[in-house]
Amino acid sequence: MSDRLSPPNPDHLEKVTGRTQFITDIEVPGMLHGKVLRSTVPHAMIKSIDVSAALAIPGVVAVLTGADIVGLNHHWGPSLKDRPLIAIDRVRYVGEPVAMVAAENERIAEEALDAIVVDYELLPFVTEAAEALEPGAPLVHGNHEAIKDFYFKGEAKPVAGTNIFQRYAYEQGDVEKAFAESDRCFESKYEFPMVFHYAMEPHCVIASFHGDSLTLWSCGQSPTAVQKVLSRVFDMPLARIRIISPHIGGGFGGKASVKIDPLVAALAWKLRRPVRVCLSISESMLTARRLSATVHVRTGVRNDGTILAKSVRVLMNGGAYADTGPAVAVKAANRAIGPYRIPNLSLESVAVYTNTVPGAAFRSIGGPQAVWATESQMDEIAEALGLNPAEFRNRNLLRRGEHVRADLRPIDVEMGEAMDIAAQEMSRIKALDGDNITYDGTALGISDPGIMPVASVVMRLKIDGSVAVISNSVEIGQGVRGVLRKLASEQLNQPIEAIEVLTPDTAIAPYDWGTGASRSSLMMGLAIEDAARDILSQVAEIAELVFSADPAAVRFCEGGIIFGNEKKTFSELLHTYYGIDSGEIVGVGRVTPYSNGGRLAQAPLFWETAAGQCAIAVDEETGEIKVRHYVSVADVGRVVNRAAAEGQDEGASMMAFGHTLSEELVYQDGQPINATMIDYHVPTIDKAPENFVTVLIESGTGPGPGGMRGMGEGAILPVAPAIANALAAGYGARIRELPLTPERVWRAIREKRGS
Amino acid sequence: MLDPQTVSFTLNGTPTELTIDASELLVDVLRDRCRLKGTKRSCDVEVCGACTVLADGLPVSSCTTLAVDIDGKSITTIEGLAKDGKLSRVQQAFVDHAAMQCGFCTSGMVLATTALLEQKPSASEEEIRHFLRGNICRCTGYIKILEAVKSLV
Repeated sequence: MSDRLSPPNPDHLEKVTGRTQFITDIEVPGMLHGKVLRSTVPHAMIKSIDVSAALAIPGVVAVLTGADIVGLNHHWGPSLKDRPLIAIDRVRYVGEPVAMVAAENERIAEEALDAIVVDYELLPFVTEAAEALEPGAPLVHGNHEAIKDFYFKGEAKPVAGTNIFQRYAYEQGDVEKAFAESDRCFESKYEFPMVFHYAMEPHCVIASFHGDSLTLWSCGQSPTAVQKVLSRVFDMPLARIRIISPHIGGGFGGKASVKIDPLVAALAWKLRRPVRVCLSISESMLTARRLSATVHVRTGVRNDGTILAKSVRVLMNGGAYADTGPAVAVKAANRAIGPYRIPNLSLESVAVYTNTVPGAAFRSIGGPQAVWATESQMDEIAEALGLNPAEFRNRNLLRRGEHVRADLRPIDVEMGEAMDIAAQEMSRIKALDGDNITYDGTALGISDPGIMPVASVVMRLKIDGSVAVISNSVEIGQGVRGVLRKLASEQLNQPIEAIEVLTPDTAIAPYDWGTGASRSSLMMGLAIEDAARDILSQVAEIAELVFSADPAAVRFCEGGIIFGNEKKTFSELLHTYYGIDSGEIVGVGRVTPYSNGGRLAQAPLFWETAAGQCAIAVDEETGEIKVRHYVSVADVGRVVNRAAAEGQDEGASMMAFGHTLSEELVYQDGQPINATMIDYHVPTIDKAPENFVTVLIESGTGPGPGGMRGMGEGAILPVAPAIANALAAGYGARIRELPLTPERVWRAIREKRGS
Repeated sequence: MLDPQTVSFTLNGTPTELTIDASELLVDVLRDRCRLKGTKRSCDVEVCGACTVLADGLPVSSCTTLAVDIDGKSITTIEGLAKDGKLSRVQQAFVDHAAMQCGFCTSGMVLATTALLEQKPSASEEEIRHFLRGNICRCTGYIKILEAVKSLV
């Protein structure tokens, strides 16, 4: 809820008039259109592909199959090199690209797909994670090739001869001894479904080989990762590969790391003509999804409510290709800890291949799965011990500066404060509303953003005082361009109108790791701080040279510089310096693990957190849960753009309403049976709570400019357990499997009443 | 493919005549032939509302409307709302309330809101929620969209 209006935002004016050029709106002269033929079977050897009839269709220019790519470095992946550019001799999930048609227009390409005949020899398949672990389960991949420090630091730990592509474990203290000493032990299993990102703009890439160079207009959130993968695949120098990232219609992780870019580039490589491939939403649903998870949690407590030990075992369904799944598995383990003092802790996370859509990063990777389990169990324990859930949490809460885990950065926020504010706000709303018919539930989430402190920016101060900010931070709706604009304006002390944030383009923007993990405002903000220092030192040097200024006294002022009593415009400074009335100063800003005296190197860079409290009512006739009020509280350090920041937490919370109440990608006989927007239900406007309060605490304690920390993901964490906790509190029904569909809720309440 | 047909309609106030294939969808005709890219394509199945345009003032999903069926109608797309460089009041409210993030749903959301307020200038919150239920936004969580629309009634 906001009573403050956003400042005029040029992006918004463009968007509200339909003028924004999204990736799907871009046309490149001479481009063809590509369409993808996808596997209809979950697991099979490809015996033959007959493309002759397709090639005979007027307007069809070429068909790409696995036979075309044998001369390329045809396998790639961000963690494991497990994925072919296009299926070569085997398919591993329904939806896997098998052939691609390039034609004069999309319609011809689509019609030509029907003319391709693929002969499959079916193989046994596995779609459930638990079944994939069993001895004798069909192996989705014959061997595993982990690649170190490629996208994430470190490497995945697959297990040879099994479907396990990642195994992660952490221990502190003596868990078994602590369980033996506990008064009570609680053990439960929680299920979190596969869910789809549904960024509203489907995946789209345009690729063009010209001479010995390659240009891609990409929907990817990580342009430099796309560039790196393509460089390996085509054995081309990075400098000859250019990735341009226009406005993107949402990402949420579904466009992070690398997705369809290598596939489209392979088609362009064969064609030697520009080609555009724009998926349908149904195809995007077959491209990436969140890893589903089964989470076992065992917690040992004393009767007074002190937690002595916790053991968490996560099993994740990673789909046919590992993608970023190895990192998701690690984060699911870490994010299960919560903001609590747990002296004896055991974490294990295993991610397995199955014959399903590849699992991938999705807003707060692994976090919602983990927090769903552990925060549900916190309420179960409180109830069993006869304690108020808030009181039980408070008894175990870490204070700022205490360690979540011995080897990680101490927690840098006060979660108790956030929980109290959430409760106060909920009481206030209910009093105003006169609501005495809803039941409350609360949950807390903390996450360790996987941020590598590696970013850079170029800022070009022009002679007229205008400034171009050039970075690879991709605008996917999070408002990063607006934030960078404001931060550059502050650091250079120039009016915001003077700042232009350019479209990311690897040909001119310096290296950045990527857009995701709540990192861009913070990382690029620090890089902008550094670039502003660079510009100031150059300007001061020039001022000393041409005006005999004391360089230590030079400061920015609007339109120029000030030193002592003198004021010069940038034009006066650079005209005098260059001798002509033209020119610019180029500043480079870098963030590395050595920046800021090495203080950015320890993981996590900051803790991203949220407290959520909901008030629900259930229609007992249908089992439908209505969330009437919701409060989201987070310490974000500093708010740079209030409306955008609130929008992030509101959007993250509502996205979580989806996996909590309705969203689940369902497999039956190896087929995804609801992978269309007719059958897959994301939240609509009528599901928005009547009252939604977002509280952003500005403690100034983050590592970024002005004490900011990253945000945008935390608010997704507490929603599901908060709603399940409210359901248990109000109706006595404890459900440990998401989504909380009307049928599940109705049955659970009935069962409870029956007993 | 079917035989070419001529379709005459008013597009953002301008009389327009096109010869098209009878199987062409309105969304493709607007985006590819009329070069009006503000109309967005997302779900393809009339669920998400991103491709909403107004036909004689009523919202329709251009992804499931045959272009031949708009013969004789008046079509308004997002490009037709601002007049003389001035945003419509719905557009202005969306900007003032930061009621968008990625912006991909915005064209459809703004047009649907325009149609709602045309029919019901003092729509209740319940009516707003009911009417806009056919327009999905995955970014904002709808909170600021509701604030923007409520500011207009």
